[in-house]
Amino acid sequence: MLQLQNISKVYEGKVPFRALTDINLEVEKGEFVAIMGPSGSGKTTLLNIISTIDSPTTGTVLLDGKNPHQLGKNELARFRRRELGFVFQDFNLLHTLTVEENIVLPLTLDGVRVKEMKERAEKIAERLGISSILKKRTYEISGGQAQRTAIARAIIHGPKLLLADEPTGNLDSKASKDVLEMLVSINKQDKTSVLMVTHDPQAASYSDRVIFIRDGKLHSEIHRGESRQAFFQRIIDMLSLMGGEGRDFSAVRV
Amino acid sequence: MTFRQFAFNQVMRNKRLYMAYFLSSLFTVMVFFTFAIFAFHPAFRDGAVHRYVLFGMSVAGGIIYVFSFFFVLYSMSSFLHSRKREFGLLTVLGASSSQIRRLVFLENILIGFLATVGGIVTGLIFAKAILLIAENVLIIEESLDFYFPTLAIIVTFVSFMILFFCISLFVSFVLRTNKLIHLIKSDKLSKGEPKSSLWLAVLAAFLLLAGYGTALYVKGIQVVHAMVPVIVIVIIGTYLLFTQLSVYIIRRLKSNKNIFWRKTNMLLFSDLSFRMKDNARTFFLVAIISTVAFSAIGSLFGFHSYLTKGVKEANPYSFIYTPLQRTGEKEILEEIKQVDAILQEEHVSAKKETAVFHYFEMAGRHGGVLIAKASDYNRFAALLHKDPVFPKEDEAIIVEQSHVMMYQGKKASEILLENPLRLENGQVLRFNRIIESEVLPEVNGYYIVNDEIFDQLGTPLRSEINAVWQAAGGQKEQVIEAGRKLTEQLPIKTFSIDYALYEINKAYGPILFIGLFIGIVFFVSAGSFLYFRLFTDLDADKEKFRSVAKIGLAFSELKKVVNRQTALLFFAPIAVALVHGAVALTALSRMFDYDLTAESAFVLGSFAVIQIIYFLIVRFFYLKQLKKAVAV
Ligand SMILES: Nc1ncnc2c1ncn2[C@@H]1O[C@H](COP(=O)(O)OP(=O)(O)OP(=O)(O)O)[C@@H](O)[C@H]1O
Ligand SMILES: [Mg+2]
Repeated sequence: MLQLQNISKVYEGKVPFRALTDINLEVEKGEFVAIMGPSGSGKTTLLNIISTIDSPTTGTVLLDGKNPHQLGKNELARFRRRELGFVFQDFNLLHTLTVEENIVLPLTLDGVRVKEMKERAEKIAERLGISSILKKRTYEISGGQAQRTAIARAIIHGPKLLLADEPTGNLDSKASKDVLEMLVSINKQDKTSVLMVTHDPQAASYSDRVIFIRDGKLHSEIHRGESRQAFFQRIIDMLSLMGGEGRDFSAVRV
Repeated sequence: MTFRQFAFNQVMRNKRLYMAYFLSSLFTVMVFFTFAIFAFHPAFRDGAVHRYVLFGMSVAGGIIYVFSFFFVLYSMSSFLHSRKREFGLLTVLGASSSQIRRLVFLENILIGFLATVGGIVTGLIFAKAILLIAENVLIIEESLDFYFPTLAIIVTFVSFMILFFCISLFVSFVLRTNKLIHLIKSDKLSKGEPKSSLWLAVLAAFLLLAGYGTALYVKGIQVVHAMVPVIVIVIIGTYLLFTQLSVYIIRRLKSNKNIFWRKTNMLLFSDLSFRMKDNARTFFLVAIISTVAFSAIGSLFGFHSYLTKGVKEANPYSFIYTPLQRTGEKEILEEIKQVDAILQEEHVSAKKETAVFHYFEMAGRHGGVLIAKASDYNRFAALLHKDPVFPKEDEAIIVEQSHVMMYQGKKASEILLENPLRLENGQVLRFNRIIESEVLPEVNGYYIVNDEIFDQLGTPLRSEINAVWQAAGGQKEQVIEAGRKLTEQLPIKTFSIDYALYEINKAYGPILFIGLFIGIVFFVSAGSFLYFRLFTDLDADKEKFRSVAKIGLAFSELKKVVNRQTALLFFAPIAVALVHGAVALTALSRMFDYDLTAESAFVLGSFAVIQIIYFLIVRFFYLKQLKKAVAV
C-alpha cells in the first residue's frame, strides 16, 4: 500500500535543518499505524511528505506502487480529494464556511450530488457527535469540535489512506475514545489504511503497530499482540526507554 | 526589544501591507499636487484664460481634496482592518490601549509625512510629463512652461498634513471602540451583511428606473433642470442596488444547495458573502466615481465634437468665399483674386470652383430661396468627390437643410415641398426627391433644377458669386496660415475651416485638458479602490487556498474561482457605471439635440477596454502571489 524508501528532508533556510533522515517504512493495506516521538522529531514533516503537501529532499514515496509526487498538478488535486484524508494538526478549516460546508468541501470539489453529500455529512456528524453544530461558523465552535469537524472532512469521501496529525489532541477521554473507535471501524470495514501521529499512549494502543521517531530517524517499532492493555503497557515502557522521562509525551499540544 | 524596536520591526516585516497604504496615499497626494501645479500655473493666473475656467479649476480642486480625504480614510481603514489581529495580540500581551493608539498615530503621521513629501516629488515629475503631453496634444496658446511651483507645494503640503493629522486622530479614536475578542478573531469574523429587505430592493429598482426614465425623457433645457434630482435619485438607487440586490442574490444562491454546493461555487460565494459589506461599499464607490469619470470625459469629448463636427459638416471646403449682400460684381472678382493671391503666397495648392447663385422670391423667406443649376451643383460636388445629380426637365430636387441648423417646427424640406415651382409657361415642376447634401454653401435648403429649364424660372431676386477652394491633402500648416491671413484680411466673407477648427481647439484646449485630467484621476482612483479591495484580502485568500489545496484543489480550479471573484469585483461596478454613463450622455445629446452615439460609444468603449486590460494585469499578479503561497 504505502512504501517510504530512504526519505530525507532538509529544510533550507539561513541554517539548513535536517528534519528527517533515511526513513524506510511500509504500511499494508488496511493497517492502522501510530507514529510517536518527541515534539519536533519530524512527525508532521513525515505526514506532509506522504500526503504530497511537502516534498522529500531525497528518497521516494510509493502509494500502490506509484509515486504521487510525480503526478501532474490536476491529478495530484484529484488524488488528494479522492484517495487521501488528512486531519491537520491545526485543523485547517475555512473561516468563511459553516461546519457542514467545511465537511462536504472535498465532495463539492468532486461534484458529488447534493443529496448524497448531505446524507453522508449527517451520518458522519452523528457518529462524531457534532450534529448540533453543523450550521455554526468556525469561530463559534470549540477546539475539540473543530478537531472533530476536521476529522469528518478527512473521512467523508472514504479515502484509501487516512493521515491524522494528533486527531485527539484536543479531546477529552470520552470524545477521544469515540474518535478512535470510529477510526478503527473505518479501518476495519473499508480497509482504509490509517497513519496517526499521537502523543497519547492510550490512543496509540488502538493501532496495529506503533512506530517511534526520534530526531528525524526511525527509532523502533512495536506490534500489537492480543490484548490492548498489554500493548498499552509496552508502549509506555518504550516511551520511557526512549525519552527517559515521559514529560515530552504527555504534554498536550495545541 | 523595546517597544520602539518592536514598532520598527513591525513595519519592516509587513512591508507589503505598509507599502500598499503608503503608495495609495502617495498617489493621492501626487494627483492633488499635479492638479495644484496647473491650477496655480502663471499662464492660467494671468487672466489669459477665462474666469470661469479658473472657477472650474477651484471647484475641481475642492472635489479632488474631498475625494482624497475619503480615499485616504478608506485606504487607512482597510489597512488597519488587516492589522486588527495584531492589535488584539498586542493587547493580550499587555500593551495598553494608549500605547497602541500612540503606535498607530505615530505610524500614520510618519507614513502621511513621507507620502506627502514623496507625492510632491513624484508629482513634479508627473506634472512635467503631463505638461509635455498637454503642449503637444492640445493646442494651448499660452505655453504651459514648467515652473517651480512654490505655492502649489505649500498648499499641498499644508493641506495633506492637516488631512493626515485629522485622519490619524480619527483612526486612533475608532480603534478604542473595538472589543478585544473581536480584534483577535477579526480574521474569522465577517463584517456581516448589510441589512436587506425586499421593500428596499424594489425601491432600488424603482429609483433607477425613474432616474433613467426621466433622464431619457427630458429634452433641451429641461435636461438642466432634471439633472440634480436625477443624479441624487440614481446615486441612492445605485447604493441600494449594490447593498440590497447583491445581498439578495447571494443569499438566494447560498440557500440553493444545488448551486452553492456545486464544485468550486462554495468557495466563491462564501467569500462573497463574507465580504459583502466591504464589497457593496466598494462597488458603490467605484460605480459612482467611474460614472463621474465617464460622464465628464464623455461630455467634454461630445461637446468638442459638437463644436467641431458641426462646423466641419457645414463647411466641407478648405476655403469659402461668400460676398456680403449688395457687393458689386467687380469688387467680388477683386476679392476672389485676393484670395487666390494669398493662397499662392502661402504655397497652398487648391482646386477652385466659382458659380453664380440665384435666389428667387419665395413667400415667407427673407432673401429668397436658392435654385441651383444642376451643372453648378455637379461641379462643386466633383471637388468633394460626391455623386452628381441629374434632375429631369420637369422636376426639381429638394435639398434638405443642413444638420447643423437646429430646427423648430417644420423642416426646410417640408416648407420647400409646399412651395410650388412654376415655369414661365405655367408648368409646375414635380418634387420627386429630397436629398441631404452639404455640397453648396447654403444651409437653409434649396432646389436643384435641370440647366435647360433654368432660364424659364423668371428673374431672380438677387444673384451672388460664390467661390470655393479645396486644398490638396497634407498641407495643414500652410492651410491654417492662409486661413489666418484670410480671416484677417477678408473677415466674414471668407471662411477657412481648418483655421476655425484650430481656433476652436485652442480655446477649448485648457477646458478639455482639465476635464480629461479630472476624469482620468477619478477613473484611476476607482481602479486603485478595486486594487485595494482585492489585495486587502490577499492574505486571507492565501490561507484559504492553501488549506483547500491541501485537501485537493487543482490550480486550474483555483484560477477559476479567482477569475470569477476578480471579474465580479472589476466588472460589476464598471458595468453599472457604463450604463449610468450611457444614460447621462444620451441625456446630454438630447439637451443639444445632437447625436453623440459615436462619441459615447468611443469614450465608454475605451474605458471598458482599459478596464479589461487592468483586470488582466491585476489578475495576473494576484494569481502569481497566490500561486507562490499555495505551491506547497
Ligand atoms: N518550514 C520549516 N522550516 C524549517 N524547519 C522546520 C519547518 N517545519 C518544521 N521544521 C522543523 O523540523 C522539525 C520537525 O518538525 P515537525 O513539525 O515535523 O515536528 P513534529 O514531530 O510534528 O512535532 P510536534 O509533535 O510538536 O507537532 C522541528 O524541529 C521543526 O523546528
Ligand atoms: Mg506536529
